[in-house]
Amino acid sequence: MSNDNLIETDVLVIGAGPAGLAFSIHYANLIGKHNIPLKVMILEKAATAGNHTLSGAVMNLKTLGELLPEVDLKGIPSITEVKQEDILFLTKSNAFGLPYHPKVMSNKGNHILSLGAMVGWLGGLAEQKGVEIFAGVAGYELIFENGKLVGVFTGASGLDHEGKPMSNYQPPTEVRAKIVVLAEGARGHLTKQLIDKFNLTQDKNPQVYSLGVKEVWEVPEGSFAQGRIMHTLGFPLGADQFGGGFVYGLNKTQVVIGFCSGLDYSNPAFDPHRALQQYKQHPQIAEIIKNGKLIKYGAKNIPEGGLFSWPQLYHDNFMIIGDSAGFVAMPSLKGIHLSIKAAMTAAQAAFEAIKAQDTSKERLSLYEKLFKDTPEYSEMYAARNFRQCFTSNLYLGFLKYGINLITGGRGLSLNGKSRLEADYKHCRPALKGRQLSPMVFDNKTTFDKEADVFYSGTKHDEAQPCHILISSAQVCRDCIEKFEAPCQHFCPARVFELSPEAQGNPAKIILHPSNCIHCKTCDIKDPFQNVTWMPPYGADGPKYENM
Amino acid sequence: MNIIVCIKQVPDTADIKIDPVAKRLLREGIKSMINPFDMYAIEEGLRLKEKLGGKVTALTMGPPQAESALREAVSLGCDEAILISDGAFTGSDTLATSYALSCAIKKIKDYDMIFCGKQSLDGDTAHVGPGIAGHLNIPQIVNVRKIQDIKEGRVTAHRMTEYGYDVLEAELPCLLTVVKDINVPRLPSLKGKMKAKSTAITVWKAADIQAEENRIGAKGSATEVWKVTTSPARPQGKIFEGEGAVDQLVLTLKGLMK
Ligand SMILES: Cc1cc2nc3c(=O)[nH]c(=O)nc-3n(C[C@H](O)[C@H](O)[C@H](O)COP(=O)(O)OP(=O)(O)OC[C@H]3O[C@@H](n4cnc5c(N)ncnc54)[C@H](O)[C@@H]3O)c2cc1C
Ligand SMILES: Cc1cc2nc3c(=O)[nH]c(=O)nc-3n(C[C@H](O)[C@H](O)[C@H](O)COP(=O)(O)OP(=O)(O)OC[C@H]3O[C@@H](n4cnc5c(N)ncnc54)[C@H](O)[C@@H]3O)c2cc1C
Ligand code: SF4
Repeated sequence: MSNDNLIETDVLVIGAGPAGLAFSIHYANLIGKHNIPLKVMILEKAATAGNHTLSGAVMNLKTLGELLPEVDLKGIPSITEVKQEDILFLTKSNAFGLPYHPKVMSNKGNHILSLGAMVGWLGGLAEQKGVEIFAGVAGYELIFENGKLVGVFTGASGLDHEGKPMSNYQPPTEVRAKIVVLAEGARGHLTKQLIDKFNLTQDKNPQVYSLGVKEVWEVPEGSFAQGRIMHTLGFPLGADQFGGGFVYGLNKTQVVIGFCSGLDYSNPAFDPHRALQQYKQHPQIAEIIKNGKLIKYGAKNIPEGGLFSWPQLYHDNFMIIGDSAGFVAMPSLKGIHLSIKAAMTAAQAAFEAIKAQDTSKERLSLYEKLFKDTPEYSEMYAARNFRQCFTSNLYLGFLKYGINLITGGRGLSLNGKSRLEADYKHCRPALKGRQLSPMVFDNKTTFDKEADVFYSGTKHDEAQPCHILISSAQVCRDCIEKFEAPCQHFCPARVFELSPEAQGNPAKIILHPSNCIHCKTCDIKDPFQNVTWMPPYGADGPKYENM
Repeated sequence: MNIIVCIKQVPDTADIKIDPVAKRLLREGIKSMINPFDMYAIEEGLRLKEKLGGKVTALTMGPPQAESALREAVSLGCDEAILISDGAFTGSDTLATSYALSCAIKKIKDYDMIFCGKQSLDGDTAHVGPGIAGHLNIPQIVNVRKIQDIKEGRVTAHRMTEYGYDVLEAELPCLLTVVKDINVPRLPSLKGKMKAKSTAITVWKAADIQAEENRIGAKGSATEVWKVTTSPARPQGKIFEGEGAVDQLVLTLKGLMK
């Protein structure tokens, strides 16, 4: 690698989500008070910060206020205060209000916003503080020296389908940094490799996920009040599955409808996109959108395991923040404000390390120490065994959760730490009786995956190697045999198509990588862990903007 | 080999929204991009530079926001970027635009080749490239799909025609407009994006390029826009179905040929 393609910096942040931006802003603030040059840069794979961001989102603004004491948070685009809140249990055609609202689930004082829009706004503030954001650039490959992480390569471009350079080939850029901050969101592609290499999840629970599939609808005024939020349990899921729906009134004419499905489901034919389509047919939801128009579609994973699923948060020369580590508290389904707080403590640790010219894991352990002293840690600690209650049956789950609340989050396990199993281990061999009956989409309120994908705005350069890697074709065939190819169902963008057995040729999977919306479900849920998601060319992928 | 590439900033087609009532282009919040043909012009300039040495200068006339198009050009590998921007240019048609660009090019002075796109996405006239060559009084080859050779101060290029291509030779300095067959444009590298952030963009006003006042803007324009209309929606195509569809189709086509 010639020096022509080398960049050096103090701190390299991978991902301009709320975590990466909060880290950089706080780091810049700390440096600003001292006589050290500010050298922090962010790589973001989306064409602009916010384009790959997808959340609910009902947000607790407290930690953002701590990050930006001088800024009026009313300036966040399209923000509105929560005015009304319901939790409903849905049967196929009815809805019942839940008799008891746990206090931790209350959203009084919180705000509804589009996280994508907020990230765009936050990115502007970061740049004003001297943070360099390079959008349209993915961190592609880790660089190690003497067994330690020293930087990241961006991806090459101008490659053909086989990966051979074409006439427009551009080599990777090598970015060397004293500290790399992994803020890639759920199931980070580089984070995953670091966790494996340094064995960072030893003695921890595996991370578990829910896939949130979401649509934004334009509706006539009066269909759903601005500032109203509705969470639902039940339909279309049975009691054996974890998940639920949400409906948020973003403004007078825009409503957000989403459905989250725990990826620990066992029926390989289950389809999270379809769950959202069925959800919209429930009278309670159908009424809201009957005269509406779909304007946006997307899907993304939520790391739900809680603090027992955190990997070790730091090691020599790097730290893991945000959803890449799993700063999400269930049951309130909140990650943004926790990620911001953790990012601030990580920034403090990075600042001390750069100042002392010592970026060893001992020095960076300050990050976890500081976070453990915050109220946000207590919030996560209280919920530490929540997701574990709901691994078998919804009703049993509530019972366990009741015990959890009484025992201060401890639950009934002996060491106070309930176990979890990785999502991919939950698939059971296809049972004919559990095949889902085909669903008819009316293209007015329900859409098939191809139609929905159009509304994600996703696009990929067609001339590039496929970014969905299948390690073994034989394993793929075994999976079709045993599970009837769950990938064709779990992928919310129809990237995987099962081509049936024909003329003596066995059934096989055909890939449509251009459809991909970067949710990473394939990487998580594939029962044989035979699929690896790689970043495609920079700026490729969904164009969410307001999700 | 010193090369100038003329680029135009146009509305992002993926982003275009039409006001359903007024039937007009909604301009607020619309993102911009480099005119697609100009991406090929930039790429060809960069490839020649990589082969023959020299530098590539990106040039545009437009409002101050056009700076972002120039920064993108730098991120791809252009060495310098010049924006000509002045209230006095407002209302320029293709004659005035090409005059203004030619004044800027005269000021740059030291150049061997000028590249333009074949035509723009929005204006669509394909006037500006030939216009510049006219004002500068230098040879031009339009719709170039391949540069065959550059030697001894001459360029040989393939000009795409409806039926194939012509092989033309011209003396340098020369202006070429390019079509999409000429190459596959590169994507910017991180190093390039970094350079784009720090490169200073030169801004010239009308006076800086000694553009005559009555040859630019509305005053210098030979065209006058009388009326702007949207073209009527195309009627839906006829679908022939069922038995006898082919016969019916043939009959209809015969009827149309009369
Ligand atoms: C459906 C859904 C609903 C939710 N609802 C709520 C809610 O109501 N309230 C709440 O507080 N939280 C909610 N959350 C959680 C919240 O959105 C996350 O906790 C939060 O977004 C985490 O921020 P982050 O910066 O860690 O990750 P992200 O927001 O995921 O950002 C990561 C960024 O890194 C980029 N990136 C990833 N890999 C690379 C790479 N290799 N190179 C370059 N860039 C890369 C991505 O493009 C992305 O922009 C919800 C999440 C989902 C999915
Ligand atoms: C009748 C008419 C009236 C017009 N009136 C107005 C008006 O009142 N106000 C107004 O603002 N505009 C007006 N325009 C638009 C403006 O004149 C044209 O957009 C501009 O002259 C470029 O022409 P074009 O888009 O057809 O480019 P083309 O000639 O199709 O472009 C060919 C190539 O020339 C180069 N090029 C074109 N424009 C530029 C540029 N600005 N900078 C650098 N390189 C360039 C690029 O390489 C491009 O690929 C008018 C256009 C017409 C046809
Ligand atoms: S291919 Fe994988 S990452 Fe892409 S949309 Fe499908 S499941 Fe999500």
